[in-house]
Amino acid sequence: MTGRPFSARYDVILIGAGHNGLVTAGYLGKAGYRVLVLEAREILGGAATTEEIFPGFRADTGSFDAGGFLPQVVAELSLRKHGLRFVETPVVAFAPQPDGRALTLWREPGKSLAEIEQFSREDAEKFPQFQSQVQRMTEALRRMMTLTPPPLSSYHARDLLPWLRAAVDVRRMGRQGLMDFLRVLPMPVADFLDEWFENPVYKGILGSLGVRGTMAGPRSPGTALLFLYGVQGAAAKQSRSSRFVRGGMLQLAEALARAAHEHGVEIRTGCRISQVCTHAGRATGVLLDNGEEILARVVVSNASPRHTFLDLVGPEQLEVRFVREVNNIRYRGSLARVILALDALPHFRAAASREVLTKEGTLLSGHTVLCPGLDYLERAYDAAKYGQISEHPVLDLSIPTMLDASFAPPGKHLMLINVQYAPYHLAEGDWDVEKGRLGRRVIDLLDEYAPGLQNLVLHQEVLSPVDLERRFGLPEGCIYHGQMALDQLLVMRPVPGYSQYRTPIQGLYLCGAGTHPGGGVTGAPGHNAAREILHDLRLRSHPV
Amino acid sequence: MPEKYDAIVIGAGHNGLVNAAYLARAGLKVLVLERRHVIGGATVTEEIYPGFKFTVFSYVVSLLRPEIIRDLELSRHGLTILPLESTLSPLPDGDRLYRDGDHYRSSRDIARFSPRDADAYEDYGQTMYFMAKAVKHILGIIPPDPAALHPGELRNLARIARHFLDLDEKQAYTLARLMTASSADFVERWFESEPLKGTLSASGIIGTYLGPRSPGTAYVLLHHYMGEIDGMFRAWGFSKGGTGGISEAIARSAGAFGAEIRTNAPVASVILRQDRAVGVALENGDEIFADLVVSSLDPRQTFLKLVDTDLLPADLVTAIRRFNIRGSSGKVNLALDAAPQLACWPGVGPHLSGAISISPSIDYIERAYDDSKYGDFSRQPYIDVIIPSMIDPDMAPPGKHVMSCFVQYAPYQLREGTWDEKREAFGDTVIETLAEYFPNLKDIILHRQVLTPKDIEETVGLTEGNIFQGELSLWQLFFLRPAPGFADYATPIKNYYQCGSGTHPGGGITGAPGRLAALEILKRRKR
Repeated sequence: MTGRPFSARYDVILIGAGHNGLVTAGYLGKAGYRVLVLEAREILGGAATTEEIFPGFRADTGSFDAGGFLPQVVAELSLRKHGLRFVETPVVAFAPQPDGRALTLWREPGKSLAEIEQFSREDAEKFPQFQSQVQRMTEALRRMMTLTPPPLSSYHARDLLPWLRAAVDVRRMGRQGLMDFLRVLPMPVADFLDEWFENPVYKGILGSLGVRGTMAGPRSPGTALLFLYGVQGAAAKQSRSSRFVRGGMLQLAEALARAAHEHGVEIRTGCRISQVCTHAGRATGVLLDNGEEILARVVVSNASPRHTFLDLVGPEQLEVRFVREVNNIRYRGSLARVILALDALPHFRAAASREVLTKEGTLLSGHTVLCPGLDYLERAYDAAKYGQISEHPVLDLSIPTMLDASFAPPGKHLMLINVQYAPYHLAEGDWDVEKGRLGRRVIDLLDEYAPGLQNLVLHQEVLSPVDLERRFGLPEGCIYHGQMALDQLLVMRPVPGYSQYRTPIQGLYLCGAGTHPGGGVTGAPGHNAAREILHDLRLRSHPV
Repeated sequence: MPEKYDAIVIGAGHNGLVNAAYLARAGLKVLVLERRHVIGGATVTEEIYPGFKFTVFSYVVSLLRPEIIRDLELSRHGLTILPLESTLSPLPDGDRLYRDGDHYRSSRDIARFSPRDADAYEDYGQTMYFMAKAVKHILGIIPPDPAALHPGELRNLARIARHFLDLDEKQAYTLARLMTASSADFVERWFESEPLKGTLSASGIIGTYLGPRSPGTAYVLLHHYMGEIDGMFRAWGFSKGGTGGISEAIARSAGAFGAEIRTNAPVASVILRQDRAVGVALENGDEIFADLVVSSLDPRQTFLKLVDTDLLPADLVTAIRRFNIRGSSGKVNLALDAAPQLACWPGVGPHLSGAISISPSIDYIERAYDDSKYGDFSRQPYIDVIIPSMIDPDMAPPGKHVMSCFVQYAPYQLREGTWDEKREAFGDTVIETLAEYFPNLKDIILHRQVLTPKDIEETVGLTEGNIFQGELSLWQLFFLRPAPGFADYATPIKNYYQCGSGTHPGGGITGAPGRLAALEILKRRKR
């Protein structure tokens, strides 16, 4: 008999039914382990979910683009069989400008090229070469996303070999390719784009990707990496992702849950966990806030490192140094969400004035990006550094009703708007008050681009970073469970020495966005965590 | 009969001189060609106003490699480093933070702002000491090429990897963090009080066009700590006679080894014969021939000005054009009628013999950076002041003083107007900022010399006035400096080498690029 409690009914308890938690559960269930998933909310998906936000309007309250979701997870968990469908829009990004012009990136690269040419012939000439460089680099990055970062002091072949293999693959990009890859990753996205392009309009659309959800400006080093991370979800020859889940993000969670069910995984919603139980430095199960204790051999947390260690495990169970590292993880949420219910489709000046081949709505089918240049973006960030909401925020919005009318009552529309920067820590004021002002500012700004929009608003909901924290458990409203900055990635994520999904508590694992490779709807942390957990479970499966 | 040398070194800055001295020491017949009438490049002391000696550009020394001092017998040739022991950070509210070699006294002063910070200060110092020691090794090696597949390079890589694996795990992670974090985030892990965080993080932005909140600046912070390792806090020093004293000592050493130095000899181009360098053409048309030519100029000039770019691989030309060499700093040198008085600490004393840093908080520096991002000089700049005449009385007439003010940010590219139009306004801003802390300053200024990035470029030839010949940003370090695949001091042109701060390990008065280039050249000659 090893340390395994005799009464364990489950092999694994998974805390949180976010998409990563469900991915891990699916893999563990598929491997034959008895898994119980416990979700605090009544709804699945975590920050990738769909909720009835206003009567008759259902909206993706968290993430709304699933372009980065790993294809191998879709295949290995047979998610298509379980109903998962992606919707790819003809327009990737539509970027109206203050002067009434617009740049549109289409799924068809030829059409994008023509659009870029309208702004700069030189940029258009470089466009294909840029696309292929970006594609090479994102392929390398995608390789690294599904590996487990080795501890810095590791000599173990199991840790290092996959990285060596990836390194050899990256080396196949050629000498220049490899050097470029190493050179570009730590750069500011502004410098990277400046090397290629001259026109601010195109750089604005791309640059905003490099700072999404993070407290960094386009001139901050490391944002080129975040840009590539954002692009890796894009289809071939695309510089942005625009791929939605049919029926809303919740359908991804539902498909994952159905796949897990098929492998015997149990999922209980409305179960708030108050504690991860430990005995002699090892996790034994969880305690629910109704007093119920459930035992398991292994506990996996999809929650943030902060919530997992400081609230569920408790600092007293951990070494001081480790607690200090956990405390020092930077979250610094910088994004707010505005959701508008609209009486009709808004008319963007830039869309109406253009002689487009298709009907106006086509332009609004993908992402609509209000970020007219890198300086505009940087200035928006300047305010946030000192705890202020950007006077001129950057907006990235989607109108899901363009793709699926069932999200709203007939004829009505829904608009999901990511607003940056909205710093969690305000120098003055309180988010519960300021969010009203933010909502007005966003509507005013949109009204400049789409005159009359303000009169179409039936309902509005603003999710401030504080609301994102309350609703989804995202610490400080950080959508990544920890800033994706150079010093919080790879071997440093979530904290130094624990980059392999294991924790100082034996039998306790992390599988959320706070671990490598980070946030976004990728499923990669969940996928990687499952691999490590299975490795450990198999080592310990026989000695009873 | 044309002149013929074994080696010609272009530029008599400290790296060019170190390079020449090492080559001469190995028995080569070396000629150093300097464009200006004085040697030293940016490492120069000039008597701009009678009796007042200005450390015109660089002003402190800490990073000069000890092996260079030893190999070139610089002490024998007159190098004297006077200690610069303290850093005084005056604060807008009239208070101050004072740190010097006396650890207990420094701790006590820090404790006035935060007892917790005082406790952490020792740990911080020790950590930086170990980190600098770990990285020091890297400063002394020629960067390997990670993309090369031949055994020699891979062996070098393995050697470096082993070196870092010798660090214990905690140190390894701290190093990883230093290489990637912003200086603000890095110091905020230790400290909470603004004056200490501001003044410490300021070291991370020197010579960069980045703010303390920009990732990568923690490395620059470490770069400035390297000096503090051999002699502890003593190692930040002031060269007797100003930084020009360093150049002169190196020049004397080079001369003693037989090198010849010619001033007022601007080089127009490198002469090539069948893709190899055979000499240089001066601007006056003279041609001088040599077996090899070494450029200590910045990468832009080395590759794009001195040679025909058609002869270089296209990817190198692109890389050098992309090489980030944005100037961000200016300099104001003052001749003073009397000793300046600090509001926070009146009187003359040892507190005026150290560095005086106008960096009251991280936000102060970050805001200074914000102004510059859009092409203006900082309205309230970060200023690093030293008063050389307090350390070396020979720098000014008796009773008078000279003051050296390093200022950031002053972007080379202005959004509006030219630096000629804005020079005096920039000077006024610096004086106004300083006068808040030195109330008597405006009354005692006899002369002032304002150097904008444009002036630095025109006077010493540093492109865009960048003091490091290229920013010390992560993507421009080690095997990426100045361009991937060309970090080994050689160039695609045979017998043409580079040895300036634009090569590994970068700027500051280290002499390391000059020395490493010489070692590489000598190694290749032996083959």
